[in-house]
Amino acid sequence: MLGTDAFVSLGQAAARALGMPNLQLTTVPHPIGGIDPKVVRAKAETIVDRVIAALTRDPATPTTAAPEAAVVVDAPADLDAFQDFAVAEGWSDGLPVLPPTEERVARLLGRLAQRREEVVATLAPRRGIATLEAIAVNAALAGALPEHLPVIVAAVRAVAEPRFNLYAIQTTTHPCTPLLIVNGPLGGRLGISGGANALGQGHRANAVIGRGLRLCLQNVGGARPGREDRATLGHGGKFSYCLAENEAESPWPSLHVERGFGAGESCVTVCGAEAPHNVNDHGSTTAEALCLALAGTAATTGSNNVYLGGEPLVILGPEHAATLAASGWSKADVRRALWERARVRLERFSRENRERFAVIDPARFKDRPLTDEVALCTDAMDIMVIVAGGPGKHSAVVPTFGATRSVTVLIE
Amino acid sequence: MKTLRVSQPFGTTNVQVQPLARRRPSLGGLRVAILDNGKPNADVLLGRVAELLVERAGAGPVAVWRKPGSSHPATVIDEVAAAADVALTGSAD
Repeated sequence: MLGTDAFVSLGQAAARALGMPNLQLTTVPHPIGGIDPKVVRAKAETIVDRVIAALTRDPATPTTAAPEAAVVVDAPADLDAFQDFAVAEGWSDGLPVLPPTEERVARLLGRLAQRREEVVATLAPRRGIATLEAIAVNAALAGALPEHLPVIVAAVRAVAEPRFNLYAIQTTTHPCTPLLIVNGPLGGRLGISGGANALGQGHRANAVIGRGLRLCLQNVGGARPGREDRATLGHGGKFSYCLAENEAESPWPSLHVERGFGAGESCVTVCGAEAPHNVNDHGSTTAEALCLALAGTAATTGSNNVYLGGEPLVILGPEHAATLAASGWSKADVRRALWERARVRLERFSRENRERFAVIDPARFKDRPLTDEVALCTDAMDIMVIVAGGPGKHSAVVPTFGATRSVTVLIE
Repeated sequence: MKTLRVSQPFGTTNVQVQPLARRRPSLGGLRVAILDNGKPNADVLLGRVAELLVERAGAGPVAVWRKPGSSHPATVIDEVAAAADVALTGSAD
């Protein structure tokens, strides 16, 4: 296996997860992408002897698998000292965490305690086994309450669906993380905000549910920042990224109803999402007019969706949603109008990127005149539309990772 | 120091250590597979290393497979394994 030195930890993690910890990984100095191919060829010359050695000498046999960590350990009782412990042990996201004492974990599990060993999912890249108990331990660290646990468990189940492509989401350099969208009556009962500042601070349920999933992904999934989680920059949602759809103020069927669930059922949808990009439009009074700002914000050269496809998300503030609905537009009309208008001229991509994208998506990029345009994603109906937020003339466009599909599951 | 009993948050894994294939002492005449992981210039790095395996170690022939995209799992691993004696692939960028 070949790679660059900057990414060696990810290659090692991949080999470990495949049960081949002794697989030889030969590296060249980073980077190989975005540089002259002649330089890359020269880098190849420097490693060929090591590659030949790796292919002709038996690797050392691993004596045993790495021992599993003890299930229960002693930690400082002092809360400040506990933070130092949690950071040193790699349990924390950097913000203070609460000690997952046996009592707190048992309280979180409640009647699920009898099923604590039940496997909810296996999480990439580490192939960590997310049992109900392991999820509850991370929920305890995150400060979640017992009533939040079913949402976190459902989200863990959702991210492990193959079409979500969790391995790539967890390890990519792209700044994506699962955004949790909660639909149905449970969101209101738990106080999950879909109103004012729903994606910001101040909502306990949003904060601890999103954070509970994030800590499961880091600790059970083994995506440690800068090691297996290779995000170049990341974004604030990697601490916690959760909201409810504002169903009460939406003029349209909610996301989970569109996906075949009943309005009275409660669901969580996960999508591998970037940070939201605001759409400020205080002037427009018709759907056609408002669509200009929405489309103008969504059509960007550097978006993954534009060349990988996938499902860009549009979060409409209730006032913008009302403006669109007052013009008689359905959600499908919004999707179609955005797809027709949110376009990027090929001349706005560099020659190198056009060549690269032509290999990935020849139908949209290969041998096309530079005056042609590409839409923000492959298909209009791939655009996800929800309503959330409070009063104000703002919406948000949330590009996604591209090589992923959102997953909606019932909260049990 | 006063302590608390706390549960570690990592859970367990279902990884089983796999034996690696025995290496042969020489690459002479061995079929080389390149599994391009789809990252920019991975084909250049892997391709040049394979050329050098042919020139310096007598390996060959060389055949190339490509992942459906760098963000997707390889679907051709069994095919590669059946068609080659040694394989070169890339990890990450």
